[in-house]
Amino acid sequence: MSQATSQMRDFAERLIAYEARENKSSGTKPAAAFPVCEKLRPHLVTLMGNTGFRALLLRALARAEADVPSLRAMQVKADGSLAGLDKLEVQADSEELAKGSVVLVAQLLGLLVAFIGETLMLRIVCDVWPKLALNDLKFFKNDKT
Amino acid sequence: MKKQNGAAKRKVLKKSVSPPAKVVIRKIPTGVRGLDDILGGGIPEFSFNIIAGTPGCGKTTLAHQIIFANATAQKPALYFTVLGEPAIKMLRYQQQYSFFDESRLGKAIRFINLADVVLEQDLNAVFNEITKQVTAISPGFVVVDSFRTVVRKAMSLASEIEMQSFIQRLAQFLASWEATTFLVGEYVPEEVRDNPVFTIADGLFWLSQVVERNSVVRKLQIMKVRGQESVPGLHTIRITDGGLQAFSRTLGLVGKKINPVRRRRRLSVGIPELDKMMGGGILEGDSLLVAGPSGTGKSALATQFIAEGLRHGEPAIMAIFEERPKGYTERAVSFGLNLKTPQEKGKLEVLYLRPLDLSVDETMQEILDAIIRVGAKRLVIDSLVGFEMALAPNFRADFRESLYRMIGALTGAGVTILSTVEVEDTFTALSFSHYTISFLTDDIIRLRYVEIDGQLRKVMVVIKMRGGNHSKDIREYVITNKGVVVISPRSTDYSGLTTGIPQRTGPRQAQKEEAAPEPKAKK
Repeated sequence: MSQATSQMRDFAERLIAYEARENKSSGTKPAAAFPVCEKLRPHLVTLMGNTGFRALLLRALARAEADVPSLRAMQVKADGSLAGLDKLEVQADSEELAKGSVVLVAQLLGLLVAFIGETLMLRIVCDVWPKLALNDLKFFKNDKT
Repeated sequence: MKKQNGAAKRKVLKKSVSPPAKVVIRKIPTGVRGLDDILGGGIPEFSFNIIAGTPGCGKTTLAHQIIFANATAQKPALYFTVLGEPAIKMLRYQQQYSFFDESRLGKAIRFINLADVVLEQDLNAVFNEITKQVTAISPGFVVVDSFRTVVRKAMSLASEIEMQSFIQRLAQFLASWEATTFLVGEYVPEEVRDNPVFTIADGLFWLSQVVERNSVVRKLQIMKVRGQESVPGLHTIRITDGGLQAFSRTLGLVGKKINPVRRRRRLSVGIPELDKMMGGGILEGDSLLVAGPSGTGKSALATQFIAEGLRHGEPAIMAIFEERPKGYTERAVSFGLNLKTPQEKGKLEVLYLRPLDLSVDETMQEILDAIIRVGAKRLVIDSLVGFEMALAPNFRADFRESLYRMIGALTGAGVTILSTVEVEDTFTALSFSHYTISFLTDDIIRLRYVEIDGQLRKVMVVIKMRGGNHSKDIREYVITNKGVVVISPRSTDYSGLTTGIPQRTGPRQAQKEEAAPEPKAKK
């Protein structure tokens, strides 16, 4: 069962847009389409260690590849950071790149929900992005996609 | 005179110098029901503790329960996970317990994974990482889970003295930072002697699983707690949705102040003739045993005893092990006794206790809780045989010891107890029960069948009344729609009634033909 439900994708999209705005306002150029994963990394590494986070991201990437095959250009390094963005940018157009990042983030958050539940996943997101306004999100209710 | 003055001066001096004030060690509540009593009040603040045991005993759950009960944003808990269960899995499983409060995560409880440091670096790096985090956060509580994995990795590289030094430094540092620490680890009892961590620890919580036949029971032993008196021995623990619950083997009754009943009244058992036989009734705070074979009316007598108390405004508990509460209530109705209304009003609780693998201490605790809940003055245990059968096999050996403690404590507090026990009628002797029960009971009533004039009739006799004189008569009784009713004065026409097959000594009386069987209670 895919963890990237349509609601989770919407949430991932909002998170990516929010992070992009934050990056712009701080004057830094968005280095890649996946800064959300990178920002989550230290928080999750504190909880799970490098190995644990890497395993989770690998699983999310494998799931995301089923929806967006061009994501196969990406790799997860030993410390849990993502590599292969340059290659991906060459292979995929901007639309696919955007879709790929949404699906990957949705899969990662979906895995967190599966393991620790929606409340704790949102708590982690709030710790990382404390100013992000969270609407009443129910990722698994009324959503069977 | 001079000598006298000197002595007086010394006396004054002695009076004016008060002994130095002792340090007051605050005791931290564990959040685990029953455990504070076992520990002697709680966990000493700033102590360095080990939670040890084999896998599956509840070590991690215990650690979580303690920090969820105590950690605050001002005094947070740092939970270091190592190579055992990663934090994400802990969070997944621990959130199933009712004590888990996700709003505490982050500010009050922080999880930090030490696995990478342990795997890639040495003990110094582990120590530095812990000190870095502790210095930054100033936690009130620190947990390392599993500490055993830190040690196991290090032992292959470090010498024993280095290991001892690491543990010593860690203990000193964490105590200096005013943190109460728990090192969680999988250990076996043989390690206690040689492992330095056990020497350094202030407190040692040992969890285990005891297997006997098909039943498994979790046990807790406080092997060590510095500076306070804990309850020694193995205590039962159970893990439920609420987390751990501990059942002290002394049922939390040791050391508690009990207000003894000053002037003990005689209480009616609800059967006037029997009250007379008992010298006016059962003494308040006595333990009465009613022994007899199946069908002699032990439960009926117990119901009358409770109903009589309720009539006089005495709340009660009936702990039943053989019959369902519905049957009990219905039988009471057939005797004209209403048990339903007092139950609805909270004056009576009928506890039906028949789960498998029950520990004796858990059962006792349920009874004690109910007694406190309703403020019970009367308690029925029906029956001791059923009670024992409901226990897991490995608890049966402890049954009498625990029962003795409970009965002693409750009667001391003024609760009057009636227990029933089924005994076989041998028709050659008058046995009271297969238990050695004299130490459990102040009073004994024996019910039995006797064969008289071609009928199997019932007789009762008061065997023992510790608090006074009692009738020595053997009296015939029947069970009618009023319950147990004593019908006849003692018979002088027979001898050997206690054997069940008496010999006629007097002239044969004219017999009334009994058309119908003995009027029994309505079904």
